[in-house]
Amino acid sequence: MIRANGLTKKYGDKTVVDDLSFEVKPGTVTGFLGPNGAGKSTTMRMLLGLDAPTRGTATLGGRAYAGHTAPLTEVGALLEARSVHPGRSARNHLISLALTHGIPGSRVDHVLDLAGITEVAGKRVKGFSLGMGQRLGIAAALLGDPATVILDEPVNGLDPEGVLWIRNLLKSLAAQGRTVLVSSHLMSEMALTADHLVIIGRGKLLADTTVDSFVREAGAGAVKVVTPSATELAALLAGPSVTVTSESPGTLDVRGTDAEQIGRTAAAHGIPLYELTPRAASLEQAFMDLTRDSVEYNTTVISETSVKGHAA
Amino acid sequence: MSTATAPRAGIAPRKATAYRVTFARVVHSEWHKFRTLRSTWITLIGSSVAILGVGLTMGATYEAGGGDSDVDTVLMLLFGFQLAQLMIAVLGVLVTAGEYSTGMVRSSLTAVPTRTPVLWAKAAVFGVVTFVSTLVTVLLTFPLAQLFLTGSDKEMALTDPGVLGTLVAASAGLALLGLIALGLGAVLRSVPGGIGGFIGLVLIVPVILDMLPYTAVQDAVRYFPAKSLESLTMLHPTPDAYPSTGAALLALALWAVAALGAGSLLLKRRDV
Repeated sequence: MIRANGLTKKYGDKTVVDDLSFEVKPGTVTGFLGPNGAGKSTTMRMLLGLDAPTRGTATLGGRAYAGHTAPLTEVGALLEARSVHPGRSARNHLISLALTHGIPGSRVDHVLDLAGITEVAGKRVKGFSLGMGQRLGIAAALLGDPATVILDEPVNGLDPEGVLWIRNLLKSLAAQGRTVLVSSHLMSEMALTADHLVIIGRGKLLADTTVDSFVREAGAGAVKVVTPSATELAALLAGPSVTVTSESPGTLDVRGTDAEQIGRTAAAHGIPLYELTPRAASLEQAFMDLTRDSVEYNTTVISETSVKGHAA
Repeated sequence: MSTATAPRAGIAPRKATAYRVTFARVVHSEWHKFRTLRSTWITLIGSSVAILGVGLTMGATYEAGGGDSDVDTVLMLLFGFQLAQLMIAVLGVLVTAGEYSTGMVRSSLTAVPTRTPVLWAKAAVFGVVTFVSTLVTVLLTFPLAQLFLTGSDKEMALTDPGVLGTLVAASAGLALLGLIALGLGAVLRSVPGGIGGFIGLVLIVPVILDMLPYTAVQDAVRYFPAKSLESLTMLHPTPDAYPSTGAALLALALWAVAALGAGSLLLKRRDV
């Protein structure tokens, strides 16, 4: 069980994490989502006591991380940045961590095996690929057989086989009753792995929901309309519950009504339609819509400004 | 809360009492980390080779009545300390600052979130190893260099009064000097910064201060690390220019405690 209460982190006057509260329950995989720069890594570092929060507290298994007498058995973590001395072999890296807790060498061999890096365990980490480095990080996270697992972007740099391995690993860890918090900036990846979602943007909590209900809400689908009289049709469709946006001239993206209604309206006013397509709910789209205002580096899409209903 | 406890039953029963962090275990871990890096052995062996090589050269090239004839015998044969102190300082900085440049510190502090035991364990391992390694080196260097000096005015045996004590004190002094570097590395968290800081603060600043025309400053400079270490390598430190052996050891120890104390305080407070 992870509990964040009003976590806030400021660097100077820049607020990176802003009054963030959430809970992560055992037995499920919780996806921690947000665009780059949303504050995911900073939040994870605060959970582990590496960064001190400006305000707020975090507890893992009922205590602050540093309050555990055997922290590696309580929480195993993979951080985004590499946390290994490149001059040491993978096995020696794990042994040095294990020794602090009195964890036996047999457990080191076991996690090396679990992560599939037994063959390279004697090699210096310097020569490791990104994927092998990630596997070593995951081996380190599992070293203490922890009740809670926190992984920051674990699929980074992994090949498709590695990605699949992570997915199954996360699910099996949760199935064993562990608390699993895994960050990603890819909604599609989380949709395949996670049961629960904590979504943040610019350090603020945007959604704390289950994947199922997120999918359901995202399913309030949009309809793509291609017509030479886009402005005219947009004005006709406008209503309190209908939003019409346009990404390119002659193309409308209509939400809040359905294809049938749009077709009837167009026909009634003699507006020709070249295309009328209900869009399948896209998780990635829903995620981007949710976090659009909080993306740190916004690439401005060159488009017509959204055509509002009251356009003449 | 039942949901919080029930699923835990699925995890294999853990030996709650067996696994826990103790200071002895952190020391064991730091010893493992220390000995599994090549840089450790390169700098340690480099330091010993410098002491032995320079000592033997000094012995072999000694001429009675030459430039070295009024130099303290032990100081002359331990002249390699000038080089060795740089290598030991580099090793000291690498032990702490090296963890920051590689990111290893995040792993170390995740395993030991109370943080300060990591620094003190590093200091203990480094201090003991450099002391022992230096002591073994000087116990070899002195009698071997003496082989060249039989019959000269510099002939001296390990068993002559004060010789063994000076060699032990000199080895302790070098280890303490290294601990200052280790503390600086913890404060500055950068390998080049730590080495630069050590060379600047420990080796250069005292020389500049010594040139100032104030007796009080010159008196104080005697107790600076480099000067204190030099004093420890002398069988008979000249009273006007150097602190006594006891005072020099105390001074070096205080410098080391100050550097480590600052490192420890900052380690506790700063984000990683």
